[in-house]
Amino acid sequence: MTSTAPARRNFLRSPWVVPIAVTSAVAVSLLSQPLFASGDSNDLPDVTADQLVTQVLDAKPQAMSGTVVHTARLGLPDMLFTEATGADPISLLGGSSTMRVWTDGVDRSRVALLGTMSEYSVVNDGPEAWTYSSSNDEAVHYSFSDADLARLKTMGEQARVEATKKQAELPTPQEAATEALARVGEFSTVRVDSQSTVAGREVYQLIVTPTTDKTLVKRIVLSIDGETKIPLRVQTWSTQDDTAPAVEVSFTDVTFGMPSESVFGFTAPAGVTEREVVVPLPQNDGAVKGSGSAHEMPVVTGTGWGTVVEFKDLDVAALLAKDPSAMTGSGERIIGSEEAQKMLEEFVPEHSDGSGMDMGVLYDQLTTKVPEGRLLSTTLLSILVTNDGRVLVGAVPAETLRAMA
Amino acid sequence: MSHARGSFGRQLRSDLRLLFGRPRTIALLAGLAAVPLLLAIVLFVAQNSGMAGQGPGFIGRVTGNGLFLVIAALFLCLPFLLPLTVGITAGDAIAGEAQTGTLRYLLTLPSSRSRLLASKALASLAFAMAAVLLIAAVALASGGAFFGLTDMTLLSGSTVGLAEGMGRMFGVALYVALSLTGLVAVGLFFSTLTEVPVGAMAATTIVAVVSSVLDTLPQLAAIHPYLLTHHWFDFAEFLRVEVNWSVLGSGMLVQLGWVAIFLSLAWGRFTTADVTS
Amino acid sequence: MSAPAIRTEGLTKRFRSGQVAVDGIDLVVPRGAVYGFLGPNGSGKTTTIRMLLGLVRPTAGAAWLLDEPMPKEGGSVLPRVGALVEGPAFHPYLSGRANLVRLDACDATAEAGTSRTRIDTALERVGLTAAAKKPYRQYSLGMKQRLGLAAALLRPRELLVLDEPTNGLDPQGTREVRHLIRELSAEGTTVMVSSHLLSEIEQVCSHIGIMGRGKLLAQAEREALESDDDVRVAVTTTPDHVAEAAQVLEALGLLDVRVDGVELHARLGETPPESVSAALVRAGVDLVGLDVRRRSLEQLFVELTGEGFDVAR
Repeated sequence: MTSTAPARRNFLRSPWVVPIAVTSAVAVSLLSQPLFASGDSNDLPDVTADQLVTQVLDAKPQAMSGTVVHTARLGLPDMLFTEATGADPISLLGGSSTMRVWTDGVDRSRVALLGTMSEYSVVNDGPEAWTYSSSNDEAVHYSFSDADLARLKTMGEQARVEATKKQAELPTPQEAATEALARVGEFSTVRVDSQSTVAGREVYQLIVTPTTDKTLVKRIVLSIDGETKIPLRVQTWSTQDDTAPAVEVSFTDVTFGMPSESVFGFTAPAGVTEREVVVPLPQNDGAVKGSGSAHEMPVVTGTGWGTVVEFKDLDVAALLAKDPSAMTGSGERIIGSEEAQKMLEEFVPEHSDGSGMDMGVLYDQLTTKVPEGRLLSTTLLSILVTNDGRVLVGAVPAETLRAMA
Repeated sequence: MSHARGSFGRQLRSDLRLLFGRPRTIALLAGLAAVPLLLAIVLFVAQNSGMAGQGPGFIGRVTGNGLFLVIAALFLCLPFLLPLTVGITAGDAIAGEAQTGTLRYLLTLPSSRSRLLASKALASLAFAMAAVLLIAAVALASGGAFFGLTDMTLLSGSTVGLAEGMGRMFGVALYVALSLTGLVAVGLFFSTLTEVPVGAMAATTIVAVVSSVLDTLPQLAAIHPYLLTHHWFDFAEFLRVEVNWSVLGSGMLVQLGWVAIFLSLAWGRFTTADVTS
Repeated sequence: MSAPAIRTEGLTKRFRSGQVAVDGIDLVVPRGAVYGFLGPNGSGKTTTIRMLLGLVRPTAGAAWLLDEPMPKEGGSVLPRVGALVEGPAFHPYLSGRANLVRLDACDATAEAGTSRTRIDTALERVGLTAAAKKPYRQYSLGMKQRLGLAAALLRPRELLVLDEPTNGLDPQGTREVRHLIRELSAEGTTVMVSSHLLSEIEQVCSHIGIMGRGKLLAQAEREALESDDDVRVAVTTTPDHVAEAAQVLEALGLLDVRVDGVELHARLGETPPESVSAALVRAGVDLVGLDVRRRSLEQLFVELTGEGFDVAR
């Protein structure tokens, strides 16, 4: 009789076993996903750091596509960026952003910054480029003058690709890695760390450490695809935060192979007028870095990671009023840290429309008042706007800038 | 009860008739169908006024292309109205029968508890599907009537033909409908816990709302991908130059996880519960 | 003799609140019986019926319906059992007929092809054919009760479990229910009918079980419960002779002699009633009336449960 009494039933015969089993199964499968996604592996042949650096720099660019997640922990207030409506590059300054990337490995590519119901697209098609923002339905067309185009035709392919690829961009692991490795040897030491997995691919990990302690950059960790030697993840660690990288840009899924032709072209949607921007072709063929411009050259102090750049007579008010010309020519690769450079560029609004962010308010919220002027201090970059109109920028602690002011 | 299987369709049809024949259900569906219609009228009236072009970008596009009304209407209904109506139907599924007392008569017919639960689950799911497809259909009709249908400009800036645009809108509706399956399962579970349908309805709606709130807290970023509502708006994938199916797939996978857990919980609860109503 | 239609052994239900609703009862309802399941409200009748039908799981003990264990074999037994539990319950916005259609559709074992005939027959049987198309919410209490009976009678049943079937019915309706029960019983259906109003079902019952505070206090054939030795006599006399009469009754050896105005009550015990009248006449008592009363079921009930009907605890 007791055998039919439910209270005494064997627990294993109770229907509750089913939900418990199902819940456990779901939990296990969910929890185990990240483990597989970035677990340690050790199947790649050993290489030395120098070999790996050479391999990466020599790697043949691949046609590929995938999803990139950009995460910034710069110590800026998170709430500032949630004000941005829709996909806007300024959102890269804080929190996680997802981008979709396609490239043919040569000079055609598309990078799309995804918003919930919006998208900011950057399309590079050889000598032409476009940005398109779905939030305000605005397209910008970047092109060279006829003279520059003619000159471009005379260049070798390598130089041509170099000359055109920087017209418009969003940060991807490749861009970040190239910048980081450019300084290897001169200002950084490099070593190989244990192998890992990124986006389901086995990767080498390369650690680039600045030789100076004057910078906010502690180290940069590159994850290099074992097969193609393409960088799949770049983590920039700050000296201010040991728990997580200050900026991380990483593929979460990647496919090697030629993407569909349709992603590389761009035709402005009906009813949208493109804003035309003519980009000057660098004078020194192919050498973008350090190229001057008609504008006044900034003063550069220090070398490598500890570099501080000083802009004189910068019209901060005009900048805040979203006049890009106030800084044209200064946004070249002159700041020590590539990530810092990126950030600086983010503060230079590319489009002069009401995309929801009031730069003036943002400026007041981000900066703090110091005796020397107004200071913006993040985990990777410091900017000091002095009372007499100079701007000091560097991947160095704020104290360094204040001492220099 | 192997001899019982043949007539499951009969029970399901009966549950569907019961649900869709009910005045309250019809009122809910009518209310949902009114959203795209009202939206179309508001946008139509406001299109030449100073209010034109306000709100999220794609809403401003409705006046140029009625197809976007499907997106706009689903976008407006998804955060609250759809969870509310799905909560009302799923929360009522078992608790409603318990409250009217009809549950005890169904069980002594007999209709086995597993069968009853399965039939109620499918009927609630059918409501969710019907609600979403109705919104989409009314949006398409009123969007076409007020603003006309034309080639569609995607979020990526590319333009696709009308046929493909319609196909993508159907994809959006289907994805949104399937995204509600987890909530249906949650509602069904709450429905087995109580004899007070209003409680189950409220609890279900609250789960959806709380999930959306948690989804906005950056401190909880680690659990965001598993939240019930996190992938709901991934239907935007259908508006990008290249639809990333793995994004949509992971959204469906999360729903599947919620369905598996809460359906099994509902089953565990319902097959052991004392029916005292 | 075949196995009982309903049997329980030590059937117990303790709710999570700790309240023991049913406390180890051993029911036996023989096949063919009309079993009156009596008890005040809250005595555990409905919980017992719910356990018999598999709606509530017993905390301890076991139950068999038509010799099959419940709730394990509910799928195969319940189609042969019609039930009315704690009043009728239907969807208010559906018509009476639509409600029956719904129930029939959800019956896993009912054949779809004969659904219409079954429903018409059941409606006919309870006299609801005329009102079948009216929404249930417009039904009177009596019509609702009838629809509940119709649902229980949708299919030929070997056993009917009717919980308070006369609740809310007018005297005419109550008579009709009694008539229906007799008719069903005559067809060979075993009927278990519960009530807190003994008088309404007493006449149709062949067996009686009395519940009180979760326990089965008595269970037997109706005659066995009624033909007890406990016979009482009531003597009516004139005011002057009350004291005298009392002396006579006590002298005769009658027990519990009580005086109530000009009436005297006493238990006869072994004494034959005729000797009482003879002794009173002999003693010169004015005998206005003499009544011999067998104990009624109602009195038995009051004695067993310590309370009257309609007393909810």
